Formats: sequence, structure tokens, C-alpha cells
Amino acid sequence: MNQFRKTLLGLSTAVCMLGLTAAAQAETLKIGLAGPATGPVAQYGDMQKIGVMAAIYDINKAGGINGMMLEGVIYDDACDPKQAVAVANKIVNDGVTQVVGHLCSSSTEPATDIYDEEGILMITAASTSPSITEKGYTTIFRTIGLDSLQGSMAAEYILTNAKPKRIAVIHDKQQYGEGLATSVRDLLAAQGVKAAMFEGVTPGDKDFSALIAKLKKENVDFVYYGGYHPELGLILRQSAEKGFDAQFMGPEGVVNSDLAKIAGAAAEGVLATAPKSFDQNPVNEARVAAIKAKGEDPTGPFVFTAYAAVEVMTDAMTATQSTDAETLSDYIREHDFDTAIGKVKYDEKGDLTESTFLVYRLHQDGSKTPAE
Amino acid sequence: MSEFSLYLLQQLINGLTIGSTYALIAIGYTMVYGIIGMINFAHGEIYMIGSYVTFIVIAGLMGMGIASLPIILIVALVVAIFISSTYGWTVERVAYRPLRGTNRLIPLISAIGMSIFLQNFVVLSQGSRDVALPPQITGGWNFGDPSLYEVSLSYMQVMIFAVTFISMTLLTLFISRSRMGRACRACSEDLGMTNLLGIDTNKIIALTFIVGAALAAIAGLLLGLYYGVVNPFVGFIAGLKAFTAAVLGGIGSIPGAMLGGLILGVTEAMTAAFFPSEYKDVVSFGLLVTILLFRPSGLLGKPEVEKV
Repeated sequence: MNQFRKTLLGLSTAVCMLGLTAAAQAETLKIGLAGPATGPVAQYGDMQKIGVMAAIYDINKAGGINGMMLEGVIYDDACDPKQAVAVANKIVNDGVTQVVGHLCSSSTEPATDIYDEEGILMITAASTSPSITEKGYTTIFRTIGLDSLQGSMAAEYILTNAKPKRIAVIHDKQQYGEGLATSVRDLLAAQGVKAAMFEGVTPGDKDFSALIAKLKKENVDFVYYGGYHPELGLILRQSAEKGFDAQFMGPEGVVNSDLAKIAGAAAEGVLATAPKSFDQNPVNEARVAAIKAKGEDPTGPFVFTAYAAVEVMTDAMTATQSTDAETLSDYIREHDFDTAIGKVKYDEKGDLTESTFLVYRLHQDGSKTPAE
Repeated sequence: MSEFSLYLLQQLINGLTIGSTYALIAIGYTMVYGIIGMINFAHGEIYMIGSYVTFIVIAGLMGMGIASLPIILIVALVVAIFISSTYGWTVERVAYRPLRGTNRLIPLISAIGMSIFLQNFVVLSQGSRDVALPPQITGGWNFGDPSLYEVSLSYMQVMIFAVTFISMTLLTLFISRSRMGRACRACSEDLGMTNLLGIDTNKIIALTFIVGAALAAIAGLLLGLYYGVVNPFVGFIAGLKAFTAAVLGGIGSIPGAMLGGLILGVTEAMTAAFFPSEYKDVVSFGLLVTILLFRPSGLLGKPEVEKV
């Protein structure tokens, strides 16, 4: 008898809870997080997740948006353009109308077509390829500066601060890396500095000994690398082993504690253009503390750009009382936003009007300090 | 020596280093093909597993406070060979033996399935990020005129040459002198007849997979230590290159695999030396196509006799 009662009680509780969750679900507003949750660059996906989840938590604690609670849903594209299209279609099918992502420019680009067509608001916190916003889309924005700005910043630093004797420009033959490398080479050439070498490596390659021997032969003392950390890490490591000690510089794709893990001591002193360290900004002190309290890392370059992406979305939603992508996009284009990355203002294309990058020097413990 | 010849020497060293590891992996392809006439597409993953095991063992031993490098390396080698061989044997048992005697395409597809399975198994159990190990064997010799060009030959490269040479010699002796080796050669000549003569061909085929996997594990250890980085996707590219080396040298021929590996490695290094390095795969695969056009059975392969 007693047993039967217990079961009955349990069942009724379960039914009540089911009812509750169903009710709660109806109230949430889903925000899609598109980016790599697996694959070789999954740590960038983690940074985005940390930022978005922190923003959602803060907004929900303050009562949500228009009476609705936010919910982050993760979609994994593994930074693969093919999977990005599949993910974008799934987001459309799931009825999600706001997306933070994607991360790698090469997967953001094919996905934007789908979002623009289906009326989904997308804000990328990490993709810096200029071509993403050049197609006249209305619902595509970013909270990060452009590749071309990173390129000009790097070129300016090379010309005025580093002043190398012979420079080589290396890239990984991908949209992001080669795009940046080309712009650095062209900007240097425009100032009369001709790159001694300009060539590509194959992503996923592990052996760079032939390339390093060639750099050594060309007496290069400065290498600009357009690409991501796995290849640069190995190039640095193998350079150190082969006694090639040029100054290396990369874009924000190499700014990652894994660079130091791969390259070890050889990662000390590498230069990189990276988004400003928003976690050092006093405005974000409470947010940084909250992220740290959860045992997560607030220092990644995309954490606060992702946080800001959610803020831009939700500020627009509060102001317009709408979730319609067209209405939100119009509002975003016409207004300024006060976010975790400072004042944000958009131009007609959906790009930030101000650069968010700075030149940093990386250290072997994975930290970075502003370069002199 | 002039600057040019020093530079050429450096690139030759680089090419031979990478080439000898291609050769080690290529042996696994060529032995399996020589005996059962099939390509083991899961072989690259066996190499990758060998690398992972090396990393885990080295990290574990260092964590236990063992600092002696020779002990660490020998333990890592033995464990890597043992575990990789077990995987090699299992691949044969699961993906090949039940399908023996069927259409040739079927085991090919099951091997590709095995390769995808193993890769994803490692992704799930070890994560998909690069795992790095601090350099274990550092230093080397520098020679040549520093004002012209300084050639560096690291101890690690010397170790790669030495270990590859020893493994190849042992393998050659094993194949040419031992009873098991003789049985292997008999199987590769005529599997059906060998079976009729009372040799357990199942055992010999399993042995072939085990020996191939052991050599792949040695390559996994050497390249793992050389690059200091491993991720679950290294097996695919390494497998592709080694397979190319095996075909180049003449698939089915063991000296062919050794030669093919070295040629492929040196071609890659020389291409990268004198052309932009993005062309290195174009040139090495172009070379493969050219050689196959003029010598369809590869450099040292015997002209194909149709097996009935």
C-alpha cells in the first residue's frame, strides 16, 4: 500500500514537472550559437559559447526580453563550410530567428545566404572576412573588425615599429589566411617594402622543415603568417629546433593558448593583431568575475564580442518589441549600442565603424600584453 | 661547399627524414596488398593510434617521475607496438576475415568504414584538438659556413634514420630468413596453393596486419616525437602519402615501398625548396601519375599477373 502511494506521488510529481517544463519552454526565445563545438578549432567555439551563455544568464537574471527568457542552443558546424550550410538549414527548420555565429569566415559565408533569405538575424562575433558583408545582405552583422583592418594594422606596425630587413609573408591557402596575407603584402609593397617570399602551406601539414630551410636561405628576419595556430605553432617549434630565429607575426586566428602548448618556449614574443582584451576593461569586471566563478576562461578574444552580439540583438528586441529580423536590422543600422566591447555603431553594410583590434605580444604561458 | 649545395644538402636531409617515415607506413600497405591483394585503408589510423599511445605513455611516465629518456622511449615503443598491433589484428579480424572470398570491393568499403570508426573513436575518447608534447630529444649538429648557409641535422632526425634503417633491416631478415617469412612469401605467390600445402593462411594474413601495424606504430612514435603534436586527423594524410609511396615503388614489393617513401619525401622537400611550397603536393602526385603511365606496376613492382 505504502509502496503504491509512493509510486502515485512520484508519478503525479513527474506529471506536474512535465507540465511546468512545457510551460517554461513556450516562454523561451531561442538564440542559436553556430560554430565549431568539435574539430581542430573547437576552442574558438568554446569562447563564443562562454560569452553568449554569460550574456544570456545576465539578461535572464534581469528579467529576460519582452517577458521572455532567452535560451542558447548550440549548433556544431566544426568550421566546415559544408556542415555550416546543414547547420543553417537546421536553424531555419527549428524556427530559431536569432543566430550568434558562425566563427570561421569560410563557414559563415555560405550560411549567410540562407539566413538572409529566410529572414534570420545573424551577428558573427569572430568572422573577419570582408566579403561576408559585401553582398548587400540586410540581416547580417558583426561585432568584430574586418580582416582588411587587421591587415592594415599589421602592415603599419611592421613599417613603423618592427622595421625588418627582409620580410616573408606565409599563409595557409584558406580564405581567412590568404586574404590577410595578401592584404599585408600589398600594403607593404605600396610603401616600397617588397616581401622576399610569398607562399602558402597546406593546412593540416605537420612538416615545415623545407619551408624553414628556405626562409633561412632567404635571410628573412620577419615572417607574417596568415592562418590559424596549429600550423603556426608547428612552424615556430620547428624553426626553434632548426635555429631560425626571425620575428613572427600573425592575425587573431593564432591568438590562443594552444599556440604556446604546441610551440612551447618558441611561442614567446610572437606578435599578433587581436581584438582588444575586453576582459581587462573595468566595465566588464563583474562579468569577468561571473565567468571565472563558473570555472570558465574569460580571456579568449571572442568571449566579449560574442557577449556584445547578444547585447545588440536583445537591445534591439527590447526597443522594437519585435523579433522580426527586418525590423531589428533596421533598428541596428540606425542606432548606437552600449556593449561589453564599448560603443558599437554600424555602417550600411553591417560592419562596425571602428576597429576593435590592437597589436599584442604573445607569451609562452599563453598570456598576451600590448606590443610596444 | 657553396651556399647552393649546402641548401640542397639541408633539403635532402629534410626530405629523407620525412621520406623514411612514409616508407615505414607504406610497408603496411604493400605487405597486405602483396598477400591478399587488397588495400588496408584503416592503416593510416593505426599510425595515428601509435602516435597517441606514445604521447599517453610518455606523459604518464613523466607524471610518475621517471626522467630517464631511454627508458621512457623504450617503454613507449613497446606499448605503442603492442597496442597498434592489437588494433591491426582486430581490423583484420573484424573488417577482412569475415569477408574473405567475397567481391574485392566489399572489404575495401569495410576498411574505409573501419578507418572512419577508428578516427571518430579517437576524437570521442581523446578530443579533437591538437595534443602537444614538449620536445624530448633536442639539439643536433650544425655544419657548413654560417656566413653562407648553416645546415642543421638534429639528433631527432638521426634517430629517425637509424630506427627506420634498423626496422627495415629486421623486416627484410624476417621475410627472407625466417619460417614465418617464407610462409608470407609463399602466400603472396599463391594463397590458395599455400593453403593446400598445409600452411594456416589465416594466421599468416593476421601476421601481415600485425607486422604492418607494428611498423606504423614505430612511425607514429618517431613522427610524434619529431613534430611533438598529434590530432585524430593525422592518420588520413599520412596514410594517403604512404599509400602513394607504396604505389610509386610498386605495390606488393617491400623494397619498392622503401624506395617509394624516400623518393616521395625527397620530391616534396625539393619542390618546396625551389617552388612555392603549396606546389609540393601537385608535383609529388604529378610524379605518381607520370610513373604509373610509363610503369603501371610502379618502380619495383612485378608486372601484374591476374590471380584466379
